[in-house]
Amino acid sequence: MNKKSKYLFITFISLSVILFLEVIYLQIFNTMNDSDLVQKNMFVKTVGLPDLAISTETSYIRHRSLSDIFSIYSVDGSLREYSKSSYANTSLINE
Amino acid sequence: MEVYENTLNLAMQIQVLSMNKYLIEYAINSILRQKSKNIFIFIVFTLLIFLLTSIFFITNSIKYELNSTVNSLPQIIVQNYKGGRHYDIEISKVDKILSISGVQESVARVWGYYYFENADVHFTLVGIDMFENQYKKSLTHLTQISSFDESSMYLGRGVKKLMYKNYYKNYFNFIKPNGTVKKIDIAGVFNSDIELESNDMIVMSKENLREIFALKENMATDIVVKVSNPNEIDTIALKIKEIIPTARVITNEDIKVSYEHLFNYKSGIFLALFIISLFTFFIIIYDKASGLSSEEKHEVGILKAIGWRVEDILQEKFYESFIISFFSYLLGVIFAFAFVYLFEAPLIRDIFIGYSNLKPSFSLSFIMDFQTLFLVFLLSVPIYIASIIIPSWRVATLDADEVIR
Repeated sequence: MNKKSKYLFITFISLSVILFLEVIYLQIFNTMNDSDLVQKNMFVKTVGLPDLAISTETSYIRHRSLSDIFSIYSVDGSLREYSKSSYANTSLINE
Repeated sequence: MEVYENTLNLAMQIQVLSMNKYLIEYAINSILRQKSKNIFIFIVFTLLIFLLTSIFFITNSIKYELNSTVNSLPQIIVQNYKGGRHYDIEISKVDKILSISGVQESVARVWGYYYFENADVHFTLVGIDMFENQYKKSLTHLTQISSFDESSMYLGRGVKKLMYKNYYKNYFNFIKPNGTVKKIDIAGVFNSDIELESNDMIVMSKENLREIFALKENMATDIVVKVSNPNEIDTIALKIKEIIPTARVITNEDIKVSYEHLFNYKSGIFLALFIISLFTFFIIIYDKASGLSSEEKHEVGILKAIGWRVEDILQEKFYESFIISFFSYLLGVIFAFAFVYLFEAPLIRDIFIGYSNLKPSFSLSFIMDFQTLFLVFLLSVPIYIASIIIPSWRVATLDADEVIR
């Protein structure tokens, strides 16, 4: 095995180890644990409303599962795709 | 005899391995000979994989987040419609729904949105029966406060931050439809663990909320229904529809379907990103498949002339493309994990969280999704290897004499 092959092998091993350690780290510190799950479910049960608070600009985006094809017009009929989040939270009108 | 065959097989494998070693070395040298071109391909390839996996990781985590709480939602939600728009529902409908056999519980809810003009944001206001022990228990647990105040309100972290910015530190003045003000004290803030769900929420007593929205005593926003046997949900939803023909009845299953649609490929932005990334990738493939450069052809010809077999050339090309694509894949995935889960996906995050001032922290739960990793691997590595090997095979099958000339 020459020098270049050795370097290649070492790089491959290092990348694999980094990936492995990263996954282990995320598994330990970033996974939803049981207490988080209990809290989230407790909250959702208390308020009884669906969807996440990641797009809150209008009601039909915030609680999209509860909005219907006409909700969009209660804001403004001409404002169909006016925010970038509406691409992610596609309206029921597109389905 | 069997032992002899095994030993022979092993010897052959060792021979193949030793052969591979030299081919690998040749492949590395070949990559280094065209350093700038290969580095460029490596960078583009890594970025492509990084982008694809990042988007997949974010959507998967959001879906997981939504699906982990979907079963805690009401089984049936009944909304009233008037003139094609959502309208308040009469509380008397609760008794009508309760008369349907199989309905265990039917509760009128009060909730809605409050527009806070100073910050240009919509808060979600939810009214609950403060006297019910169950709510007291969950609210004190979720806000980690010891004393419970029925006349006050409980806020999401985003709401609290905005109110604080606007000098509302201990209370908030809600402007009622008649122009007067309703002052409500802040009792607590929801834990940061539930920020994705609670960031824009304000929870208070139904009485206070009725006053803020000027909602009549006999009216409610919607009605939630609990059914004893989950298999009967659809039948009961139909019966409710018969009793209240103008109602929109949303079952838990509808919400699950809605969640499924929420971040699927129909969503324009992902489609656009996919098209861009796939297009870039096809350009690379096209460039590769449309033929090797004369220099590369010359190289293959010389190799054949000095005695390399077609298999050897293909094997060497395989190593060469595999080293580039697999290293790009590994690096792309490592970057994507760190980008999404450690750095909370800067820039890409903006696609998901909208433009409102009420932005939650984008700390998503980590999901080890082998399916996504495998999908991205299949979309990238084998295609790239094929794009290198096919043109090489075309050249390698020609006569050495013809290729060199």
